[in-house]
Amino acid sequence: MHYDPQKKEIFLDRSLNTLDEFVLKFITILARYVPYTIISGYVSIILGRARATEDIDLLIPKITFDLFKPLYEDLQQQGFWCLNAEDVQEVFSYFRDGYSVRFALRDTTIPNFEVKFPRTLGEKESFQDTIKIHLSQNDIVLCSLESHVAFKKYFLQSEKDIEDAAYVEELFKNQLDEHKINKYRQLIETNGK
Amino acid sequence: MENDIPLRQFMQPGKTNSEDRLNFVRFWAQYVKTHSDEEWSKQQNIVIDAQYLQLRKALDSLS
Repeated sequence: MHYDPQKKEIFLDRSLNTLDEFVLKFITILARYVPYTIISGYVSIILGRARATEDIDLLIPKITFDLFKPLYEDLQQQGFWCLNAEDVQEVFSYFRDGYSVRFALRDTTIPNFEVKFPRTLGEKESFQDTIKIHLSQNDIVLCSLESHVAFKKYFLQSEKDIEDAAYVEELFKNQLDEHKINKYRQLIETNGK
Repeated sequence: MENDIPLRQFMQPGKTNSEDRLNFVRFWAQYVKTHSDEEWSKQQNIVIDAQYLQLRKALDSLS
């Protein structure tokens, strides 16, 4: 694994697991239509944290119904279903109203993607502040390591979240921008997530 | 793994379950840093794939 903080890139030559393959399948479709940023647990997991997860959290920009409709149809054609609703207008209305919407592979419920528009200032910052992971199979866009550490450590704060943050801090010791982590910490303490 | 002496300083037993888990998380991060992606990811995949396999079996048994 090689991290280049200047270029905001990580080169990773890992073998993939069931969860990684699920993620790549979904984001390959998604990226045809919209930019995206994966946040939260999967950020630590793709980098080696030895735990599974029920869901992968992902931000997409606010898009119109006209752009969402072909994306949704493509997801359905490629074997995904929405856990919240089937009708495309109803699914879009959840996004529009600020809810998260979940997608899984047909006949399954776990793992699933929890997709939402960025709502809070913190989410808007995290959506823009990204790094790219280069796998041999594809690229994956994640929120910055600093954003990840700050939200896990200062906002979410469950035992699992503290461990996720500790893992990334240990893995990238002396490579993280402490100033940026503190900036996110202040943002969290001032505005919440 | 047996020759990874420098790693052992990171795997002190914890006084509580939380501390022990955190010690292991840091120990594992050191392992990931000092071994090839192929080597650590194969081990990580065992943990993750096994959990999903177990889950799939459990869900199948319900249907």
